[in-house]
Amino acid sequence: MNYTEQIREIASRLLESGQVDMVMAWEKGAFDYQSLPYVARSREDIDKIIFDDYSVHNLSTSLLRYRDSNEKIAIVVKGCDSRGLIRLLEDNQISRDRLYIIGICCSGVLDPLQAMINNSGFSRAKETPGPAAKCATCIQPNPVIYDELIGEPQEARNPGERFEEVNEIENMTVQERREFFEDIFSRCIRCYACRQACVACDCRTCIFEETRPQWVGRETSISDNMMYHMVRSMHMAGRCIDCGECERVCPMGIPLMLINRKLIKEVDRLYGPYEAGMVYVEGQKPPFSVYDEKDPDDFI
Amino acid sequence: MKFFKKGQIEKIVERLAEKADVFVPMLRGQQSGFFSWKSYDENYDDIIFDLLNVYSPPKNIILPQTEKMYSFDQQGQETIIKPEEIPVEPKVIFGIRSCDVKAIEYMDEVFLTRTFVDEYYKARRDQVAIVANACYNPGTNCFCKSMGVDHLNPEAADVILREVENGYVWESKTDKGDILTKQVEDLLEDQEVELYQPNRFVRKVNYDGVAEKLKDLFDHPMWERYSDPCQTCGICTYMCPTCYCFDVQVKNWGDEGYRFRCWDSCMYREYTLMAGGHNPREAAKERFRNRFLHKLQFFNERYGTPLCTGCGRCIVTCPAGVDIIRMIELIKEAEPSV
Ligand code: SF4
Ligand code: SF4
Ligand code: SF4
Ligand code: SF4
Ligand code: SF4
Repeated sequence: MNYTEQIREIASRLLESGQVDMVMAWEKGAFDYQSLPYVARSREDIDKIIFDDYSVHNLSTSLLRYRDSNEKIAIVVKGCDSRGLIRLLEDNQISRDRLYIIGICCSGVLDPLQAMINNSGFSRAKETPGPAAKCATCIQPNPVIYDELIGEPQEARNPGERFEEVNEIENMTVQERREFFEDIFSRCIRCYACRQACVACDCRTCIFEETRPQWVGRETSISDNMMYHMVRSMHMAGRCIDCGECERVCPMGIPLMLINRKLIKEVDRLYGPYEAGMVYVEGQKPPFSVYDEKDPDDFI
Repeated sequence: MKFFKKGQIEKIVERLAEKADVFVPMLRGQQSGFFSWKSYDENYDDIIFDLLNVYSPPKNIILPQTEKMYSFDQQGQETIIKPEEIPVEPKVIFGIRSCDVKAIEYMDEVFLTRTFVDEYYKARRDQVAIVANACYNPGTNCFCKSMGVDHLNPEAADVILREVENGYVWESKTDKGDILTKQVEDLLEDQEVELYQPNRFVRKVNYDGVAEKLKDLFDHPMWERYSDPCQTCGICTYMCPTCYCFDVQVKNWGDEGYRFRCWDSCMYREYTLMAGGHNPREAAKERFRNRFLHKLQFFNERYGTPLCTGCGRCIVTCPAGVDIIRMIELIKEAEPSV
C-alpha cells in the first residue's frame, strides 16, 4: 500500500489554493520501517509527505491540539482512524467544516515501533514484524467519513475472531482472572502513553491529573494501577473505536485491547446494537454520554 | 587475565547472589529489564546477556519508581513521624551496559553533589556494586560514543566483563570489585585471551557547541514545528536511564498516612501546574522544548555533560518517532536569528 503520490497531489492542490492551512500525514524517518506523523504547512513541505505500509498512527488524536484554533486542516485517515474523527465530531471537539478528510481504504499496516524494537537489539525477534495487531480483526478498513477517497474498498478481516481472547478470559475462574489482571497491571509504569495516544481520551483535564481531590493515587502499586486501569477502561466504554493505538504504544506490552474489546462487547450487548464511531449523524451521542430512563439499572 | 566460560555465567551469578541481591537482564514475558535473581524462573524468564540491552532501564534499582519516605500518625496534639527504613542489602547490577552505567554517574551528580546529599538515594546507591558488560557490538540506535561515553570502559563500574570467544574476561576495577572477585575466584581461570575489535557505530552525532547554541534558540519556531508529532506521553522520559525527576506525594487515611516519592516527567501537565491554575508549559511545544533543553543545555551548564548517554531508548520507544539524534542535527542547522 503506497499512496504517496495521490496524497501529495491532493495536498498541493489544497495548500496552494489556500483551502487548508495544514495537511496531517506522514514523513519518512531514519529507517525504511519508520514512518512518522508529519504536518505539512506549505508547498515546500509537500515533497516530504508519504503514505506507506508503516503509516500506522491514528492521526485523528492530534487534531485535539488544534481544537481551539481556526485553522483548516486536511487529514489522512485509514478506516479505523476515520472512526476517531466521528468521536471528535460527536464530542464537539472540532467542527466538520474545518476538516478536509482524505480517506484511505486500508489493506492493513505494519508497526514501525515494533520494527524499531526488533531491529535495535531489545528483542530476540530480529526480523521485521507482520501486520499490526489491530489489523488482524479490523471491522472497518474503509473510511466511514471522507471528502476524498483513495484506494479500492477492502473487506473486513476475521470479524468472527474479534472477541476470541475476551471469551477466553470470560471462561476463567474468578481466581484465575484476578491473577491474570494482577499480573498485567502490576507491570504498568503509569506513563499514561495509552491515554495520550487515544482519540477517545479528549477531556481537557483528565481525572488522573486532578489534584483536589486526587481521585487516583500516584503509586505504582497494584491498587493504584488497578484503579487507573479500571477508570480508563470504563471511560472508554462506548467510546473506543478499536484503533489499537493504546496497546501499540504501551512500553510494557500490556494487552489493553483485551479490556477495550470486552467493553465494546458489553456496550453492544447492553445498549446496542452499538459500535462507536461508525456513522456520523449530527447531534448523535454515544451511549454513556446520554441518560435514558430505560437504561438497565438492575445492577444497582 | 581472568576469564570464565559462557556456560559458567549462571554459576557466577548464583555465587554472587549468596551475598547480595543480584539484578540480571532478562526478558520476562512482555517485559524486558533487570530483575532480581531471587525471582528468576527458568521456565519463564530468558536471561539476555547476549542481547544488546534491556528495554526498561535499570534506574529503578537505585531510584525506585515509588519510594516511601516516612509515615506519620497524628495522636491528639502530637504527631509521630516514623522515617522509612531502607533495607540494607547489598545489590549487584550484573551485566549493565556502559550507557546505563554512565546514567548512574549522572544520577550520582544530581543526588550526591553540589551541597545536597539525598539520603534516600545515597542509602541505595552505597549498597550497589556494578558489574558492567562492555559493548563490542553497538546496536542500530546506539550513539553513546557521540555523547562522551566510553562504551568499552565504563568509569563507575566495579567490574567490567568483556565478551570474548566462548566466554568473558573479568576485570576488577575497584575495591568493591575486588570483593566480588574474591567471591567467584574459583570460577575464574587465568588465561590470555584475545579481545574483540569493537564494531563501528551505525549512528553518530556531533554534540559540540549544541549547549552553547541552544542559549539563543529558546524562542525559535523549530520547537513548534518539531513537537508536531509529540503526544506528550512521557514514555521517552520514563524509559530514559538518566531522567531522574520525581514528585513527592502523600497517602493518608484519617490522621495517619505516609509520604512517598514517585517518578514524574516534564512531559506531564501536572509537572508545571501551579497552585493558581497557571501552567507555564501548557502544550507539547513547551514540554518538548524543556526535555531537549534540559538534556542538551541546562544539565550541561551545571554539570558539564549532556543528560543523555546515547542509549537510544527514546528513539526506539517514541510512538511518534521523535529522534534525539535528528533533534541535535536540527539544532545545529537552525538559524538563531529567525
Ligand atoms: S482505547 Fe485504545 S483502541 Fe480505543 S480508541 Fe483509545 S487508543 Fe484507540
Ligand atoms: S501505556 Fe502501558 S505502561 Fe503506560 S500507563 Fe498505559 S498501560 Fe501503563
Ligand atoms: S515518547 Fe515521543 S511522543 Fe511521547 S512524549 Fe516523548 S517525544 Fe513525545
Ligand atoms: S535521552 Fe534517549 S538516548 Fe539519551 S539517554 Fe535518554 S533514552 Fe537514552
Ligand atoms: S526535566 Fe524532563 S528531561 Fe529532564 S530529567 Fe526531568 S523528566 Fe527528564
